[in-house]
Amino acid sequence: MSDFALDDELVQEYIAESREHLATIENDLLTIEKAGADIDEQLVNRVFRAAHSIKGGAGFFDLVRIRELAHKTENVLDLVRSRQLVPTPAMVGVLFLAFDKLRELINNHRESNEADIADFLSTLTDAAAGPPDAAGPAAPPAVPLRMPAEDATLLVRASGFDVEQARRVGNSIFIVECDLLHDVERRGRTPLALFEGMMRCGSVLDTGFDVAGCGTLDDEIRNRFVLEILYATLLDAVSIGQVFEIPLGHIRLIEDNRVAAVPAPKMTARLASAAATPPEASANLEVRSKAGSAGPVLTAGEGTIRLNIGLLDSLMTLAGELVLGRNQLNDAVASGDARAIGAGAHRISAVTSELQEAVALTRMQPVGSLFSKFPRLVRDLAQELGKQVELTMEGTEVEIDKSLLEGLSDPLTHMVRNAVDHGIETPAIRSAAGKPAIGSLLLRARHQAGQVVIEIKDDGKGLAAEKIAASAVVKGLVTAEQVASMTEAGKFGLIFHPGVSTAEKLSDVSGRGVGMDVVKTNLDKLGGKIDIESRAGQETSFRIKLPLTLAIIPSLLISDGGERFAIPQTSVGELIRIPAGQVASRTDRAGDAEVLLLRDRLVPLLHLSEAMGYGRRDGATMALNVVLVDTGSFEFGLIVEELHETVEIVVKPLGRHFQGLRDYAGATILGDGRVAVILDVAGLAARAGMNGMDLKSASAAEEEKESVALHSLLLFHNAPAETCALPTESVTRVERVSPAQIEVLGGRRTMKYRDATLRLVSLSDLAPVGELSEASQWVVIVIERAGRPFGVLAAEPLEMVEVEVALDTITLRQTGIAGSAVLNGQTTLMLDIFELASNALGEETEADPVRRMEGSAAACGTAPTILVAEDSDFFRGQISRLIEAVGYNVLAAEDGQAAWEILDRHAAEISVVATDVEMPRLDGLALTRRIRADGRFANLPVIALSSLADEEEVARGLACGVSEYQVKLDRDQLVASIQRAVGKADSRLSALLN
Amino acid sequence: MTTEDASVAVIQPTGDIVAASVPELRSRMRGAIAGGAHKLTIDLRNVEMIDSVGLGMLIAAHNSLTRVGGELSAVNASEELIDLFVAMRIHQHFRVSGVGEPGDSVVGA
Repeated sequence: MSDFALDDELVQEYIAESREHLATIENDLLTIEKAGADIDEQLVNRVFRAAHSIKGGAGFFDLVRIRELAHKTENVLDLVRSRQLVPTPAMVGVLFLAFDKLRELINNHRESNEADIADFLSTLTDAAAGPPDAAGPAAPPAVPLRMPAEDATLLVRASGFDVEQARRVGNSIFIVECDLLHDVERRGRTPLALFEGMMRCGSVLDTGFDVAGCGTLDDEIRNRFVLEILYATLLDAVSIGQVFEIPLGHIRLIEDNRVAAVPAPKMTARLASAAATPPEASANLEVRSKAGSAGPVLTAGEGTIRLNIGLLDSLMTLAGELVLGRNQLNDAVASGDARAIGAGAHRISAVTSELQEAVALTRMQPVGSLFSKFPRLVRDLAQELGKQVELTMEGTEVEIDKSLLEGLSDPLTHMVRNAVDHGIETPAIRSAAGKPAIGSLLLRARHQAGQVVIEIKDDGKGLAAEKIAASAVVKGLVTAEQVASMTEAGKFGLIFHPGVSTAEKLSDVSGRGVGMDVVKTNLDKLGGKIDIESRAGQETSFRIKLPLTLAIIPSLLISDGGERFAIPQTSVGELIRIPAGQVASRTDRAGDAEVLLLRDRLVPLLHLSEAMGYGRRDGATMALNVVLVDTGSFEFGLIVEELHETVEIVVKPLGRHFQGLRDYAGATILGDGRVAVILDVAGLAARAGMNGMDLKSASAAEEEKESVALHSLLLFHNAPAETCALPTESVTRVERVSPAQIEVLGGRRTMKYRDATLRLVSLSDLAPVGELSEASQWVVIVIERAGRPFGVLAAEPLEMVEVEVALDTITLRQTGIAGSAVLNGQTTLMLDIFELASNALGEETEADPVRRMEGSAAACGTAPTILVAEDSDFFRGQISRLIEAVGYNVLAAEDGQAAWEILDRHAAEISVVATDVEMPRLDGLALTRRIRADGRFANLPVIALSSLADEEEVARGLACGVSEYQVKLDRDQLVASIQRAVGKADSRLSALLN
Repeated sequence: MTTEDASVAVIQPTGDIVAASVPELRSRMRGAIAGGAHKLTIDLRNVEMIDSVGLGMLIAAHNSLTRVGGELSAVNASEELIDLFVAMRIHQHFRVSGVGEPGDSVVGA
């Protein structure tokens, strides 16, 4: 395990790559599940390779549990790939669970080796063993085809496998009766041509010749030779008749499996009988993505983002342009040439705009990366709830700012869950209401007027406005009178208030009356708006409107009291100027609130100067400038001194000290260099005690409290006046010690701890702080890093606190001290565990094994070239660096085909080939065969790199001509193996020369 | 061309088994069966095509033979004919073998 303490960066790289694999695996598995027995080998291969890469990395970092689990999934996938296992929903479910666990392990890789995965392993082993009664190629649970009962003389018979497959792809099954003489020969066709035609539009499951109908040689020669064909197709009977020129009367529908089939009475009967079929077969889920060209969607790991290299290049070019512009401007300023200054400024301005656009693009991600998790979510949820849901996703290619995408994840998930749980009814209820048994859920993203609109629409039972209103009255959010005067949309809007629920009963999924308020809060934070439309019994649609990007927003500039402020344009409804003469007639007081009569409604007013706390001007004799702002849930008029232009501002976050203020959303630097704060109109309104419908937002404060992350800290003292803190979760144990227990060995303080020597550090070893006072009681705080403990010396009193921490990482930052925070009115030093650990343990870490070998090859005076073929970017980089570190040259290829091309071009230079086994295009074994088949490379050493070479694989490799198998990135072994191979290659060369 | 050997008979049509040639073949087969042949082999080496009437006749022969406890087999079928037999699952009723397949040896026996 010490390996990844050394190579933290490598682990991160591996984790990021694994997360990407896992993200694509999910969608691929869904597609595989949908295709059923009709597997797309390339797709299965892709999942297989992804699992394989995860396994490989895990092996390298000694993450044994991850490796085992990935290995087992790989086994199952291998059987699917070789068609020994049919990917039934149950089996794909097992894989889903395994990959979920894998993701969990990878996210907590440090603890993963202690994780218990026995259940997962045994489930996967069972899955790989196939259905218990399957001998040889596994047969899926056969759901017998219900042949027409009145017809006992059928000639065709369907295998369960074929029927299952037809059902899965939505093929209906027909019996086509065809007379070879009249329907085939007389139409100038041959039977084989007919079959070929039919295979193009479906599958011929079975045929049966009416043998008895031919009589015997003693009978008259017949003129009717009947062939029955069991045919699975997407066509309907009429089309079959037309396409294959067969009388309609000879085509019988046996089973209608079309997904969108409207339940005719006959179908309902079949649905009832579906209860007898395995549960997985009845969960009918069809996922379609209309953006077919979207391709695999990248999901970046937390905090990292992958960029198109082209975009990066254009950024670099623009940066170059900027430098040129600056030089031009500098020259112009130096020479005082006003015209040249103007030209320079113009150039910089142009480049800046382009740069701004390009940078904004780097943050754009397709919505698909967010949507991609929903097919799985909907599938699982629909199964769990016994519902049938068809999820359609449109506009997955629409791009929005990454931070918006992240912020959208929770609200969207919540709404999708709601739609499946509350919106869409069970098949029985739906059928009874005359709706298709399969509910449809639409997720659509599109651009509209500079905004992104995301729609979540279901054809379920709709929202019950009255029920929502009643719930809100019960919760005391509105009065019955207010409800009476509300529009339907207003009542729908109530679901965004805490505690209001539409569900009659609570389920695991949703309906506890928490959620929609959180959705609203999250969307508010993103500057988004949400509309609801619903028709009872028919549909509900939520429409979210979001700005394209958060970083640059068009804003209205205003000023008041000599300060300038920005209001995001999305919050601005209209600008109103009330001439001095009309102020009295158009404004009024309602209770202690001032209101504006705007057309036919009353809008509450707020004086910005008052809200800002510098007193209000007496507005009676002056004209009023009112900005009608929309908080998302209500509108109010903000009275400001002056209105200015609308500009695009770049949002800068406010400093830590201002973060508690709800009035401000951020700050920006204006063209003249001055700072303008961005007003948060909702925050302003909340602080002024305004709310649209006098909704009692008692929960607001509570909510605020919840949203602040609390940290658990262990407080202790260094010198008596110095309070220090460590995060509690990093502390393993605390032990009291007396100074006498502490020994100084080799200049280091140590003590005996659990029969071993524990290295001790105190903060004063690292930073110029006071020494521990002999007078106080000392303790040792034991911390484990990378499995090795060390102790931090501290003094009592100790205290455990749960506090909100605003860490100042500047003022007191120094070695050993991560920063400071004020806790209970006292400045507290937050210790830096990493630096403490490296002080305590750092010097003891072993030298990197690779380092020790460095230069050994260089010393020989030759630098042989190794060709590395590996499809994982991560491994290719690792192996290349490893080999370069021992002084060889490396040529790297991303698959076998590329490797072959390189080898072909550099035939004379390459001494050794090191190749991965599993690769796209041309795999490692095929590459080896090709190498061996070419006389030039008959003796070229080929090292196969495999993550877990089992005997069978090794045997296969050796049969192909692999010289040696090496476990991928057992570095010492690999290096030794390459050195051996190079040695052989050298002797081969010298033998040839002599 | 007919080879007689107690209960084994081989009939080798000289051309395609189609409506026009069926009556003649049919009477040859009936004759063979009437002569006590219970194992009737049709050698298809000269046959390129079998039409629906031909197919009907082969099956009728199969039915006749089954009735007397005998069996029909077809040998030296071209690939195309084998495809046809397999597509119609006719090979599930009587044995069909291609050119040079073991079915040949049955004939010699």
